[in-house]
Amino acid sequence: MNTPILPLIPLCTALALLGCEKTEQHAAQSTQPQQGGTLVYATDREPTCLDPHVAGDMPQVFIAQQYLDSLVSMDSNGQIGPWLATSWEVSPDGLRYTFHLRRDVHFTDGTPFNAEAVKANLDHMANPKTQSSTAGGYIRQYRGTKVIDTYTAEVTLATPYAAFLEVLAQGFLGIQSPTALQRSRDQNCESPVGSGPFKVVRWDRQNQVELVRNPAYNWAPPTARHQGPAYLDRIVWKFIQEPSVRFASLQAGEVDVIEALPPESHEAARRNPDVELIIAQRPGNPTNGTFNLRRAPFDDIRVREAFVRSADVEGALKSVYFGEFPRAGGPLSLATPFYSGDFERSQEYDPARAARLLDEAGWTGRDSEGYRTRNGQRLRAVVLIGARTPPSELTLWEQVQATTRQAGLELVLDQMSDAQVTARQAAWDYDIRTGYWNTNTPDVLRIIFTTAFVQPAGVGGYHQNSSGYADPGYDALLDSALATQDAGLRRQRYFQAQQQAAAQYLQLTTYPQSTRLGIYKTAHGVRLEPSLAVTYLYDAWVNK
Amino acid sequence: MTTTTLAVTDPRRERLAALGRRAAIRLAGGVLVLWAVATLTFFALRLMPGDPVLAILGGPSGNPTPEAIEAARVEYGLDKPLAVQYVFYLGRLVQGDLGVSYSQHLPVTRVLAEQGGATLELTVAALVLAWLLVLLLTVVTAGRGRLVGGIASLAETLSAALPHFWLGVVLLAVFAFGLRWFPPAGSDSFASLVLPAFSLAIPLAGFIAQVTRESLELTLDQPFVLTARTRGLSDLAVRFRHALRHALLPGVSLSGWAIGALISGAVVCEVIFSRKGVGRQLYQAVQAQDLPLVIGISLVVAAGYVLANILVDLLYQWIDPRQQEAAA
Repeated sequence: MNTPILPLIPLCTALALLGCEKTEQHAAQSTQPQQGGTLVYATDREPTCLDPHVAGDMPQVFIAQQYLDSLVSMDSNGQIGPWLATSWEVSPDGLRYTFHLRRDVHFTDGTPFNAEAVKANLDHMANPKTQSSTAGGYIRQYRGTKVIDTYTAEVTLATPYAAFLEVLAQGFLGIQSPTALQRSRDQNCESPVGSGPFKVVRWDRQNQVELVRNPAYNWAPPTARHQGPAYLDRIVWKFIQEPSVRFASLQAGEVDVIEALPPESHEAARRNPDVELIIAQRPGNPTNGTFNLRRAPFDDIRVREAFVRSADVEGALKSVYFGEFPRAGGPLSLATPFYSGDFERSQEYDPARAARLLDEAGWTGRDSEGYRTRNGQRLRAVVLIGARTPPSELTLWEQVQATTRQAGLELVLDQMSDAQVTARQAAWDYDIRTGYWNTNTPDVLRIIFTTAFVQPAGVGGYHQNSSGYADPGYDALLDSALATQDAGLRRQRYFQAQQQAAAQYLQLTTYPQSTRLGIYKTAHGVRLEPSLAVTYLYDAWVNK
Repeated sequence: MTTTTLAVTDPRRERLAALGRRAAIRLAGGVLVLWAVATLTFFALRLMPGDPVLAILGGPSGNPTPEAIEAARVEYGLDKPLAVQYVFYLGRLVQGDLGVSYSQHLPVTRVLAEQGGATLELTVAALVLAWLLVLLLTVVTAGRGRLVGGIASLAETLSAALPHFWLGVVLLAVFAFGLRWFPPAGSDSFASLVLPAFSLAIPLAGFIAQVTRESLELTLDQPFVLTARTRGLSDLAVRFRHALRHALLPGVSLSGWAIGALISGAVVCEVIFSRKGVGRQLYQAVQAQDLPLVIGISLVVAAGYVLANILVDLLYQWIDPRQQEAAA
C-alpha cells in the first residue's frame, strides 16, 4: 500500500542519518493551549478522494477525522458513546436502531443536521454508485432509514448486526452535509462538507490539502479534551512520500507533525529532544499471510501449523524493523474490542514441532536440494508479492523463507503487479496471500473467515475470505455474536471465534498495523482518535 | 511579373517554404506517433491481468459489495468487449475528450492542467541549466591541453553516468538537510525548484558537453578560427562568437532526445522531492491501472517530445543552412 521506489531505500537511510542535525534551542513547554496558528502535517499517501464514503482507504479517514463528525463516538476502551446522536435504542430483534439526534448542529455550508441528514448519509454509503468499499461494505445489512421526526431517525437492518454502532464510530462513516452529497460524486470528492472542527478549503493535488477552523463548532465528542471551536486556525496537510524526507523535514521543523514515521527513524526520533513520538496499534486483523485452504499443501492443518512453527517471525521482525514492531500472534490485534491475549503465543517458533508435524503429514522424502517431498512432489508454497508491497515487508518474507527452508519447505516469493495479484487471488491461484484489515470491531473475523465471503464479490472473482475456510459452526458462531447486544455474551462468542481461528492456523500473523506520529516541539495536544487510531487535531495547538 | 519571379527565386522565401513543408511532414508523422502511443498504451494496460475496478474501489482494507463492483464496471464501460472499448475511446480522443481519471475523480484534462505546469517548469529549468553548464564547461576548457581537457572530460563522463535518484538524494542530504539552503520538499517556491532542476540537469549536461566538446575541439582546428585569431580577437571572443555556432549542432540535436530523458527523470525527481507534476502522477496512475490518465499523460508527453523534435529539426536548419541543401 505504500509506494516507495525500491532503489531509493538504502540511500535514503543514509540520508536520514545525515539529516540528524539537532537544534539545541528549547522552547518553553507550554501546557496552556494557545489559540491560533497553522499546524503543518505531513503524511505519506495522498487520498484519491476526500469523501471517505467513496472507496475508503486509510489516507481518506485521516483527513475525514478533522472535518467530519460521527453519529457515535468510541473511547479507548472500545465503549460506544454519544456524539451527533445523543442516545439510541435497539429493538429486541436487533433489526431497528432508533437514534435521537443533537438539535444544535449544522454543517459548514449552513445545512442543519437532522434525521434527513442521517438518512441521506446512510443511503449515500449504501448506494453502489458511490463506489463505497469500506463504509458501504460495513453496512451491507442496511435496508433503510425512516425519519420519525426532525431529530429522530430509525435505521432498519436486514439481519442483526451488533457491530453496527462500532462501525458507525469510524471516520469512514462520518456524517456529511446532505446538500453537498447531492452534487456529483467527483465534486464531493474534491470539496466535501462536514460539521467537524475544521473545514476543507482547498486541495492542491500532489501537494497539500488546506483546512481552516470551523468557528461555530460546539459539538465535540465526549472523548475530546475541550469543547467549542478548535485551537488551530489552519491545518496544512502535506503529502511527502519519501519516508526519510518526511522525517528530515520534521527534524528541521519544516513540518510540525509527521505520520508513518519510518521504523528505522524511531531511534533517532527518541534521541531527538525536539521530537516526541506517538505509536499506537490499529485495531483489526494484523498484518499476515493467509493460507489458501482450497489446495495442497495448506489444505492440511498439520502443514499449516508446521509452516507457522517453522517461521521465525520474531527474529525477522527484529532484523527488518529494528525491534520496533511487536509480534502479533493472534487473529486480532490488541487494540480491537473483545481482543483476547490468550492466543498471542499460539504461533511461537518451534522447528522441532514443525518437523514432527510434517513427518506425520507424510512429507518424509527429501529431494536433491534438501526440500521435503511426498509422492515425488516437493513441499512448496507460493506467496504473492504485489508491486506495492513495501520493501521491508518483502524482506520480512525473505527472512521467513530462510527459516522455513530449514524445515524443508520451499517458500516461493512470486513478485508481480498488483493487478496480477488480484487476478491470481480471484482464481485462488496462491498458497499464501498477504494482507491486513483495519477495523474497530472483532466482526472482521466474519469478513475474513466465513463462508459468505468465500463467494466472489462481483464478476472479477475477488473474495474477502482469502483462506477459503468454510465451517458452518464458525459461521453460526460469528452470526450469533452479531445477534446480541449483551457485551458479556459478545465477548464470549468472540473469544470462541479467536480460539477457533487460531487453532485452525488460517494465517501466519506477523505484526499489527500501527499509526506512528512524530511530533515536533512546536505542536502540542496532538491525539489519536481511538476507533481506528487516527490523528485527531481538534485538541491540538501550536507554539511557534 | 516582378512579383512572380521574386516568389520563385527569392532564396529566403524558398527557404521558408521548404521549412514549412518539412514541418508539415513531420507533424503528420507526429500524429501517427500519437495514435500509436494511445493504441499501445490502451492494449498494454487492458491486457494486463487483473481488474481495474478493484484498483478503483481500492485500498487494502476495501470491502466492496458486489453491487458496488458492478456499478463501477458499468460506469467506466469495463463491461463491454475490449474492441468496443477501444473504438469508443479512440472516438472520444479524436474529439479531444481524454475522459475521466478513475483514480483521481477528475477529468484527465484537468489533471494535466494542474500538474503539467510544474513538470514543464522543471524540465525547462533543467534544460536551460544543462546548457548553461555545458557552455561554461566546454567553451572555457576545450582545446586547453590534455590535462584540462582530460579532467573536464572525466567530469562530464561522470556526471552523465549519475543516476537521477542518487544525485537527488545527495543534493537533498547536502543542500536541504545539511546546509538548509533549499527546502527538501514541495513545489510552491522558486527555491524548491533549484535542487530538482540540478539533479535533472547535471547528468544531461554531461551528455551534451561530451559531444559539444568534441565538435568544439574539431572546430577550433579549422582555418577560419585561425583567421579570426589573426584579426586580433580575444580567445574567449573567438570561442563564443565563431567556434560555438559550428560546434553547437550535435548538442542541439541531442537536446531533442533529452526531452524524453528529462521526462523520465522528472518521474524520479518529482517523487524524491515530493513535487507536483505529471511524472509522479503517471507513476501512480500506472499502479492504479488508471487507463484514461495513463494514456492522457503518455499522449501529452509524446506530443511534447514530437514537437520538441520538430523544433530541434527546424532549429538545426536555422543554425546551419547547409543542412537544408543536403536535405533538398
